[in-house]
Amino acid sequence: MDKKIGVYICSGCSIGESLDMDKLAKVAQSEYKAPVCHVHPCLCGKEGVELIKKDIGDESVNAVVIAACSPRMKTDAFAFDPAMVQERVNIREHVAWCQKAQDEDTQMMAEDYLRMGIVKAQKMQPLEPVEDEISKTILVVGGGVTGITSALEAAAAGYEVVLVEKQAQLGGFVGTLKKRFPQEPPYTELSAEGIADKIQEVSYHPKVKVLTSARIVKTSGQPGMFDVTIDSQGATSEVRAGAIIMATGWKPYDAGKLGHLGYGLTPDVVTNVEFERMAAEGGIKRPSDGKPLESVLFIQCAGSRDKDHLPYCSSVCCMATLKHAEYVHEQNADAKVFIVYKDMRTPGQYEKFYRTAQDAPMNFLTKGEVKAVEKAEGGKLAVTVENTLIGETMQMHVDMVVLAAGMVPNSADGEAIRALEDAKLKVEKGESDSQRAEAAKTVELLKAHEGTEILNLTYRQGPDLPALRYGFPDSHFVCFPYETRRTGIYAAGSVRSPMDSSHSQEDALGAAMKAIQSVELASQGRAVHPRAGDMSFPDFFLQRCTQCKRCTEECPFGSLDEDEKGTPKPNPYRCRRCGVCMGACPERIISFKNYSVDMIASMIKAIEVPEEEEEKPRVLVFMCENDAYPALDIAGMNHVQYDPSVRVIPLRCLGSMNIVWIADALSSGFDGVMLFGCKYGDDYQCHFAKGSELADRRLENVKETLQRLQLESERIQLTQLAINEYDKLPVLINEFMEQIREIGPNPYKGF
Amino acid sequence: MAQPLLIQPDARFIRDVVDAGGGDLKKCFQCATCSAVCSLSPEDAPFPRKQMIEAQWGLKDKLLGDPALWLCHNCGDCTTHCPRGARPGDVFGALRREAIKAFSVPGFLGRLVASPKGWPVLFLLPILLFGGIALWAPKGEPTKSLEFANLFPQHILEPLFFAISGLVILAFIFGLARFVKALRASGANGSILAGLVPAFVDILSHKRFADCATEKGRYWGHLLTLWGFAGLALMGTVVGIGTMVGMMHTPLALMNPWKIFANVCAVIILIGVTVLLVDRVKDPVKRAASTYFDWFFLLTLAGVISTGILSEILRLSQVAAVMYPVYFIHLVLIFALFLYAPYSKFAHLLYRTVALAAAGKRP
Repeated sequence: MDKKIGVYICSGCSIGESLDMDKLAKVAQSEYKAPVCHVHPCLCGKEGVELIKKDIGDESVNAVVIAACSPRMKTDAFAFDPAMVQERVNIREHVAWCQKAQDEDTQMMAEDYLRMGIVKAQKMQPLEPVEDEISKTILVVGGGVTGITSALEAAAAGYEVVLVEKQAQLGGFVGTLKKRFPQEPPYTELSAEGIADKIQEVSYHPKVKVLTSARIVKTSGQPGMFDVTIDSQGATSEVRAGAIIMATGWKPYDAGKLGHLGYGLTPDVVTNVEFERMAAEGGIKRPSDGKPLESVLFIQCAGSRDKDHLPYCSSVCCMATLKHAEYVHEQNADAKVFIVYKDMRTPGQYEKFYRTAQDAPMNFLTKGEVKAVEKAEGGKLAVTVENTLIGETMQMHVDMVVLAAGMVPNSADGEAIRALEDAKLKVEKGESDSQRAEAAKTVELLKAHEGTEILNLTYRQGPDLPALRYGFPDSHFVCFPYETRRTGIYAAGSVRSPMDSSHSQEDALGAAMKAIQSVELASQGRAVHPRAGDMSFPDFFLQRCTQCKRCTEECPFGSLDEDEKGTPKPNPYRCRRCGVCMGACPERIISFKNYSVDMIASMIKAIEVPEEEEEKPRVLVFMCENDAYPALDIAGMNHVQYDPSVRVIPLRCLGSMNIVWIADALSSGFDGVMLFGCKYGDDYQCHFAKGSELADRRLENVKETLQRLQLESERIQLTQLAINEYDKLPVLINEFMEQIREIGPNPYKGF
Repeated sequence: MAQPLLIQPDARFIRDVVDAGGGDLKKCFQCATCSAVCSLSPEDAPFPRKQMIEAQWGLKDKLLGDPALWLCHNCGDCTTHCPRGARPGDVFGALRREAIKAFSVPGFLGRLVASPKGWPVLFLLPILLFGGIALWAPKGEPTKSLEFANLFPQHILEPLFFAISGLVILAFIFGLARFVKALRASGANGSILAGLVPAFVDILSHKRFADCATEKGRYWGHLLTLWGFAGLALMGTVVGIGTMVGMMHTPLALMNPWKIFANVCAVIILIGVTVLLVDRVKDPVKRAASTYFDWFFLLTLAGVISTGILSEILRLSQVAAVMYPVYFIHLVLIFALFLYAPYSKFAHLLYRTVALAAAGKRP
């Protein structure tokens, strides 16, 4: 296809005062012979947009380069056909607003950015969205309060739903409760509202198919076309689903590990779940002898917020205990209820229930640490508590002790299960004794994951969702709740994060909305998240593939499967378009129509690197376009000046950084390379989970290259930066430039 | 490790404290704002945070012997600043009532005075007593001008009030003995005898009131009431003994120095009590904090003073129709004020003195 590039340069927003617009236009007109080039004082205004549209129509311009504000701005004004080639050049936030006006360096910077934009547009191809028959059925796994709510919400929005439940009946944990936490204002009374009505509603809903006593045998395919084999009551059925909501709930923390709090000492030490069951099944009596309860002590955070057990707070145990105290007083108003806590945590409106519970004359609450639970006279239990609010070590003699134990997600860690399978295989067929012994150790370590499969995905990266911190499969709780690291599969309710039934219902609604978004966008061939609406997807030039498996291994979303030889088998609907595979590929055979190794390399080449004598260093900056790039925009908006020697290239994710670019840059005379990515590790902020971490790992290889070239390793620097750290960014750039000036120019300049 | 404290909450005690005006007790979540804002709270044993949880937990034995209850002068700063509206000041008031009640001998009188249901019985006794005296007691020769002794002969009233005083002193001795035992048990180990002088200085100077009063009215009200009361008590004792031994004859002449002193004291105490009453009615925090226990004492005291002054005026104006009934009421109220002193809020006079003395170190 013949490409006709139109370059449009905006002189508004003080860009015109800062730069020589004629000289800038010359770059497009003379250097790149752009057939169409306009300078306009307000490109985003009606007149400016009309000008571009007219050129697209009359002049058959089919590739638009807009040099104006940041690509994050005015997206509604510059919204042309999404398939068309278009590139935004940021000469406002990244040049005019942060550099000296009418300055030689500023002008050079703007011209370089325009060159980069035009070169990229020259290399880009129009997008062709994938088109397939997309199923919009939503599969909900788990028939508890979350699953039922998700199913009802999705069905109410008009989608077909298949609801799968492991047990013979729907209802989950909420179905076993005597009472629930307060559900409505003033949030001071427990709710008797169970889940029976919802079960009824979902069971007879025309759009919901309920499968109980069910097990997922296999899930293959990709969003929009998941093929799920379900075994239900002995019969096997096949379901094609567009998206999956995982609402498999939680299980109580293993009380067997709470011997230090008296569990197992006598039958009178029970967990909160056991206590609830006693209350629901006809009343609480002392388990050992059936005597009515006169005193009970609740130990909060039993195995929670404890580095030896569950390090996190389950957020519900405090409320559960306050509820249980009310159960006790319903039976016997004079029964003494002691509650020993680390901190009482009753989130949101539940604080009001806490206040009500505090008012009960026979509730005795104290912060404290339980030192010992021992048998005492008269069949009682003596509980010794230290560091109390009374200021002394106390002892209470009570009929029962209840351990407020926390929630463990019912998720299956796909990565661990896969590692376990691999290790088992190695134990059988290992090459050496030491390898077999090593594998046996791994098997021992991971044996808890044995038989935990839930979704049984046929993905190359393991049969279930990768679990992140503490075994929860959520992928990015701050920015994208419900998202897991498997596209089109959403976690909701207490499998996602510890939460109570009300919160689970809200979560269920959120996950249902995400599932609907997923199937709708899939049906348009667009990405759902976080590059919502993106129509690009990676192409694999497989003839040159060496089966190194880096892409299939590194894709954070398991979107690539493999054939027997190890050749990647793309699943475009699983893809989030981050380009991590592109960054990983040593053969550089993975590219998007509007984002490729070649494009970025050409942009690097388009930058004019001054000769050494000019004493104008050049530093290439790769910036994650999710956090660091907008941070630099914000610095620009605040008119913070920084060294004009840098040239910024935004990357979809720092994980898409291919090290060949760094080699290119250094060999073409750049004096240094900065990389800005998101925070990684346990509290990662990367939109694509692993991107910046992978980039950091790849840089290890670059270090070797540097050594070979006898270049200083300080010439390359990767910084983790959050979007709110925009004030640090100019400082970091200036400091790096100072360092580069100290090291001196790149000896390869001019080669 | 020291023997752990065995916790046995006293359910009845919790309910009593709640009934006695500590209704918001359970709201306390132990932030200790109260202890921080209190200007009287000593650094080494701050209150009222700790007493709040002890009260919540019904730890009666720990609380009743705690001198902190009496170190508090009820200014209400803690109640004003409490983020949860637990009203620690009110709780302390209730705890003091519980302490007076618990230490009182005989115990039934303590319970009767503390209970709002008790006052008809409490007043019926003096009404019958003085009614009987007025009706049936042998009267002396009628005097030229009208005198109260015509209806309430001195040879009956004087021994009667000395007898009451004896009972009251006895009741106080028993009550305070129990209190001191409790103080010692709770670890307040200051020498009471040695502490008495500084305690008196504290009390008479009203230094603590000056420290904690959020408004000055209460400081002056209490100061005037105390000083006026002390003056009247001294005068009463002197005149009582004086008439018994025949050195004085009542009514004293208007210009008699003792009479002048008595009248000045009466006016001072009237001003003081009025200030206290207005303070309680006007200030919403104080009004809400005021319980039956407070009102019983304060109104009885106010009644004694106002009927006393009125009686004197009526006697001087020789209005027979009203002077005897007013004096009758005066006698009834005096009787109630004194006989019930060890069981009413009046007792704080001695309990606080002892507690201040026993608390040892002064902040």
